[in-house]
Amino acid sequence: MEHLIGFYPMWYVPSVGSATVIAIIATIHVLASHTSVGASILLAYLATKAHRENQPQIYDYIKKYLLALLVFSYVSGSITGPGIWFSATVANPRGISALIHNFVWVWAAEWIWFVAEVTLVYILYYTLGRIDQKSWLRLAWTFAIGSWATMYIIVGILSFMLSPGHEKWFTTGNILDAFYNKNYFPHLFMRSAYMFAIAGTIGLVIASLMKKDISEKVYKDIVKTMSYWGIGGVILGSVFFGWYFSTLPERSIAMLTSIVPTWYYALIFALLLLVLAHFVLTAISPRFVKVHTAYPVYLLIFFLGIYPEEKIRETIRKPYIAGEFVWVNQVIAKDVPAKGIKSEVPTIQQAGFLAVNPFVPEGLKRITPENEIMAGKAIAILQCSGCHNVTGNSGLRPFAKKFEGMTDKNAVYNFLANYLTPENHPPYMPYFVGKDEELRALSAYVADLVSKGGRVSARIEVPAQNQARIDGR
Amino acid sequence: MQNYAVQQNLVRWSLLGILGSMLLLGKVVFAAQDVGRMLKTMADPAGAPFFPVVMQLLQVLTWALHMVFVWTSVGGLLLSIYALTKKEDNYQRLARGLIELSKVSVSLAIVIGVAPLLFYQVIYDPLWYSSANLSASWYIMFIVLLLVGYYLLWFAYFRRASTSQSMLFSIGSVVLLLFVGFIIHVVNYQSLFPERWVQWYTSGGTTMNHHGWGIYAFHPFRYLSLLVFPSLTVTGIFMMLYGWYFGKREDIGKEYASWVARLGSRVAFYGSALWFVSHILHIATIPSEWGVKGSVFSILSIVVMALFVGVAFMAQKSPVSTSIPLLLACTVNTLFIAILREYIRVASTARFGYSIYEYKVNLELLSPMLFLGTTLGGLLLYAYAWWMAYQAGRTPKGKVYEASETEHRLGDLSVFLVTLWAMVFIGVGLIVIVRNYV
Repeated sequence: MEHLIGFYPMWYVPSVGSATVIAIIATIHVLASHTSVGASILLAYLATKAHRENQPQIYDYIKKYLLALLVFSYVSGSITGPGIWFSATVANPRGISALIHNFVWVWAAEWIWFVAEVTLVYILYYTLGRIDQKSWLRLAWTFAIGSWATMYIIVGILSFMLSPGHEKWFTTGNILDAFYNKNYFPHLFMRSAYMFAIAGTIGLVIASLMKKDISEKVYKDIVKTMSYWGIGGVILGSVFFGWYFSTLPERSIAMLTSIVPTWYYALIFALLLLVLAHFVLTAISPRFVKVHTAYPVYLLIFFLGIYPEEKIRETIRKPYIAGEFVWVNQVIAKDVPAKGIKSEVPTIQQAGFLAVNPFVPEGLKRITPENEIMAGKAIAILQCSGCHNVTGNSGLRPFAKKFEGMTDKNAVYNFLANYLTPENHPPYMPYFVGKDEELRALSAYVADLVSKGGRVSARIEVPAQNQARIDGR
Repeated sequence: MQNYAVQQNLVRWSLLGILGSMLLLGKVVFAAQDVGRMLKTMADPAGAPFFPVVMQLLQVLTWALHMVFVWTSVGGLLLSIYALTKKEDNYQRLARGLIELSKVSVSLAIVIGVAPLLFYQVIYDPLWYSSANLSASWYIMFIVLLLVGYYLLWFAYFRRASTSQSMLFSIGSVVLLLFVGFIIHVVNYQSLFPERWVQWYTSGGTTMNHHGWGIYAFHPFRYLSLLVFPSLTVTGIFMMLYGWYFGKREDIGKEYASWVARLGSRVAFYGSALWFVSHILHIATIPSEWGVKGSVFSILSIVVMALFVGVAFMAQKSPVSTSIPLLLACTVNTLFIAILREYIRVASTARFGYSIYEYKVNLELLSPMLFLGTTLGGLLLYAYAWWMAYQAGRTPKGKVYEASETEHRLGDLSVFLVTLWAMVFIGVGLIVIVRNYV
């Protein structure tokens, strides 16, 4: 163990990749949490209206909405919240660690609001009609602002993940410089606006289910409120998206305009138009509110809106996973003088990528003709699987497709040796780190994979000769 | 001559024995140094943004709070299943109440559970990330199964009018909750053996188990003593508190409330006795080389738990009036368990020279101030919200609780504080953005 870097055991998910696991969990969470935060403000507003205009039937609607929140947002949302954290922990432990070690107190402050949010939603549900209206209203507004506060906090951390925004942070280490990134406010406003469209859509679903239980006037009032807030949400959200776009780092804009598939934008644009049209129709006439229309719109927000958005967000962050100093393959690639963090690239280049990882079997650390392909596979899994399916020809940016027809290891080597260099690497990919013999091993593995039809087992087997050699040393 | 040969052989074997021991001990010491170096290398180079001991303290306290709701989640379901097997009205009614308790508890357990894991990951990152990644697929399954388990609990709640359906969903739910508890137990327990991680992951140097489906270590007594038996005990205490809280409400009925409290006191006592036995067995089976067994923390935890069992025994005489004292005794007991659990971690990692007190610190004061301010404001807000919930719960169904002037003022203060927090947060952001970018 001459040189050692604090890598953790690697988790590899063949085909779809660990990134997709995070994306699925994150999409559920974003839908649930945006519904919940948007609804908390909408419901506080409705409760104020019910109190001022003396419309007690609105409270029946609020109660149903709160139950829907409890069943969906406070089950799916509150489990997938830690779920993102859990999946990030195993997909990219060093990335999540970098965030936690910078923002632990900020997250802890968010936790105070989480607890408030969860306790208050139950208290609001159980005390509606059991305590006087004024007191209930105060609790409702506390819940609304407290819920929104969780968004204030997480947006800063998400913005930092994309970029600290300013070189200053690397030398000051000041948490304010890291947190209040230049895309913090547009990001916050964009999410805050869209959340009303999401909450408004589910609000229409609930209203349509209660049509028979409340008077026509109250029904119309609720539908109009949901529709107007929804229209405002879509329009303002789109305006803020433009602002958000203008604050992205150059590399992210380059990726948005080059590698993100155009149909992603088409999907999101079509969805925004659909949601807007739906709200306009329901605002014009409440008879357009139908469960079998509003609910599919809500589901489409999940599939056509949030999922592509999460994928795009993950893509434009590359080649980094956190703060423009940790690469997506968990290598620390840049010094952060303020924190005493040193780039690990020189050590890896000198000692070898496999040699510095404590969880690589000894029998793969020194490359021999017998273990070359397995060592190459280990490198592919450790260095490339964050973004690629490295053992198959489908799923997440598969190696077999990227290297189609390249069955000669020298050809692969020549390609990689010229492509993944500090000078020539594409802006969205880290360059290769490791010794030349390791790049050759990776090339041998890729050629072997392609020559076997593009699919091999993900299992790594240390050849017996190498095991013996290590044992006998 | 023969004697001489025997003596010569004895000397030879003795020397060989000494030499062998030296080699073995040398290897052990070397291995310990290697593991220690590995742990220190894994610690995040950013360092902790505050004094590790504060993180440790917060982790211990928030873990204890988290576990209370984990216990009432599991215990509520276990006891509701028992109650559903009984035909008497009281039991059926109790089962519905316990499902309700469990339903709310899971939410609170999840949300409160964020804090201990957060503070823990700052100072014990090598332990958690290594162990979680050894069983990564199970770690993800934790989320999936918890989601399914929680929805089953909601189904049990919605179908509470049907005993058979409610029971079916409750059984499904508690099985999954116990299983996700087992996953977390495994990740925690594996983390205590850093000397074996590489061996586990590489199957002795022959492969890389990157599939994440491996479960490499677990400890039945630890699992029973930290999850199963406390669940029964603490839920029993909650049943006693139910009697205390709802006994005064006419629409609930004093008789029923007292019956729940009496049953709760029996559950609490027998549960605590089983908890005590499993706790002793847990301590007795901790690897000796960790130096935990005879430690002051182990002894104190045993003494405190024995006293707690004694209080639970006496509480059976008058369950309603002793519910609060028993709750206090249980709180103290839980804190001692939390401290011992942390000490086990300290002791197991100390073998390799890892100490959180030596964790690199990059002191930063602004974000702790944010946390402190949010906590102080949050506590006032919680106090108001819980107080109003308390008053609402004491008001019979069909009646409305009218808040007093003081309560109204407290409500205004609560809204003011949360608004002030938001304004300060946004205001600081604007200043920083203007300073850095305009």
